[in-house]
Amino acid sequence: MYLKELTELFGVAGYEKRVRDFIREKIKDKVEIIEEDPIGNLIAMKKGRVNKKLLLCAHMDEVGFMVSNIEEDGKLNIIPLGGIDTRSIIGKKVVVGEKEIPGVIGFKAIHLQKNEVYEPPQIENIKVDIGVTKKSEAESKVRIGDFVAFSVESMNHGSWFSGKALDDRGGCSILMDIIYSDIDLYYDTYFVFSVQEELGLRGAGVSAEKVNPDLAIVIETTTSGDNPEFPPDRRSTELGKGPAITFAHSGYVVDERLFKWIIDTARENSIPYQIKRRTAGGTDARRIATTLAGIPSAVISIPARYIHSPMSIINLSDYDNTLKLVSILLTKEAKL
Amino acid sequence: MIITDTLKSLSSVDGPSGYEYRAIDLIKEELKKIPNISFEIDQLGNLIAKREGQGKKIALFAHTDEIGFLLTRKESDNYWRFTTIGGIDPKAIISQRIKIYTREGSIAWGIVGMLEPHLQTEETRKKVPSLDDLFLDIVEGQDKVNIGDIGVFSSEPFLLSERYFTGKALDNRVSCVTLLYTLDLLNSFVPKSESYFVFNIREEDGSPGAKTVAYRLKPDLAIILDVTHGDVSIPSMPQIELGKGPALGIGPVIDYGYFEKLKNLAENISVNYQIEPLGGRSGTDTDLIQITRGGIPTLLVSLPLRYMHTPYEVVNIRDIEETARLLSYFIARGGE
Repeated sequence: MYLKELTELFGVAGYEKRVRDFIREKIKDKVEIIEEDPIGNLIAMKKGRVNKKLLLCAHMDEVGFMVSNIEEDGKLNIIPLGGIDTRSIIGKKVVVGEKEIPGVIGFKAIHLQKNEVYEPPQIENIKVDIGVTKKSEAESKVRIGDFVAFSVESMNHGSWFSGKALDDRGGCSILMDIIYSDIDLYYDTYFVFSVQEELGLRGAGVSAEKVNPDLAIVIETTTSGDNPEFPPDRRSTELGKGPAITFAHSGYVVDERLFKWIIDTARENSIPYQIKRRTAGGTDARRIATTLAGIPSAVISIPARYIHSPMSIINLSDYDNTLKLVSILLTKEAKL
Repeated sequence: MIITDTLKSLSSVDGPSGYEYRAIDLIKEELKKIPNISFEIDQLGNLIAKREGQGKKIALFAHTDEIGFLLTRKESDNYWRFTTIGGIDPKAIISQRIKIYTREGSIAWGIVGMLEPHLQTEETRKKVPSLDDLFLDIVEGQDKVNIGDIGVFSSEPFLLSERYFTGKALDNRVSCVTLLYTLDLLNSFVPKSESYFVFNIREEDGSPGAKTVAYRLKPDLAIILDVTHGDVSIPSMPQIELGKGPALGIGPVIDYGYFEKLKNLAENISVNYQIEPLGGRSGTDTDLIQITRGGIPTLLVSLPLRYMHTPYEVVNIRDIEETARLLSYFIARGGE
């Protein structure tokens, strides 16, 4: 399990290099083919028992920002890359650009705020402070277009795990675990670590086109909403209750045959699972499913809390059960 | 003494109001390294160092406490409600990892979670949750936490650039470091005053620490060191800037005679300073010390700081050096 290393890497959407390099280095000797496509997706293949292809996908990118402007006083203006709630980004450490220049996102002190205490900050009022006072000084360290990533140390708490970017380094870690395991793969399995999922599912389709698989499974880290403020009937998943299996989400109704196959497999093997109850948010499955002449696709997710913020959590039993379920699926023929 | 090292250890140590003893212990260890002083801890937990000298009795105060959290109610499973010690912006609390000291002495960890954007509604997006709506998701030590346990921000301090330093609790550990450095510098003089360096408790809790020490010492002059808002525009006020030296407070809570003396000395020894107008009250220990035991002449010297009461406050190292230089001369010359 590479959850700690993976979540601590900086890999904002469009700037996934560090994650890609890390994964490639770790898996290159464990796979038969490994290559990077022109937009940065990493594709690795392990042979199976039959001459058919399964694509297993997890996205490498995380939500973050990029530098859009440098102000006269050396503060950096930023624009979001991916959906970020501005209420969750005050008082955080970040790193900027290739040189990983440290910075903080500060905000006007509570003592000086009037009505704005309870107003969500506007992104144009959020600035990154890299400890300079002049534009020229800032320009010697960072450039417009540099990525801005949250800098968060991950922690393994025993049964829980906290850190940034669990969406979807959780999925990446599952794929790596499978590559490392010696399971008897049924299909020629193409492991795709995709880019730019958070920018509108832009990466995975490109890989799917190249691989042209018979079917695809997307491994995600998804929402839950199982907190005290949120009514149980509006939650999407609950932590500790096993992998979440999607029947439909934004823009894609999951192939019914695959959906049933996954559930039946979980049942037969007594693996706890839950059906994801909300359809908000999409995954790479939506893009893959409509690639070429159409690819039957499914989604299995690790339920998480507080994703798209700098501090998310998962329950490690869900991680283990997701890995277990996917591992079993990969040894079998899908009922298509 | 290496300022950034001391600042780093004092920012890292945890001590919200009423629970300052870890910070006090650490400062005590620093004091042991400084020659020609004696020190004691009083019955409330204030740490008082004394530097002998012939002349007026001058007491310098820096509060050691920081803002923090208190667990108030268990909601369900992992979820706890909390309140704050000192005023904290809810926006600066969201998505933070809070370190909790349990009564049995172990450390527990809690995450202040933010519902994923995917599950937010138009209505919930419009407002920053109040402290009543926020919760701590205890991910480690669930069975160890109790009502009344204290918590702190867990942000690690670091040098933001050559001159700027960031971390939690710089309000007011930066003043503690400045006092230690002043004591260090004082060893190049034969001081013409009897000086007391007070590391007091509970400023964020209404100043009972400073008041009781002032009562006991009854100094001829009390100089309070605290922080003030830097690099932010406040209507009808001069902008206090980081890197431009200490802000000398002026107003009803300040002794005008001593103010002139300190200002003149700064000019004579070329220490940059700024003037900070204080309304009726300063919001620091100064307000209470001035009216203690028959009245005590007071001065407030503030270090400029950005993003007060957030996990990453920012200070300028040069401001610490210059403030300590000014204070050491002032004490050495007997308050002239």
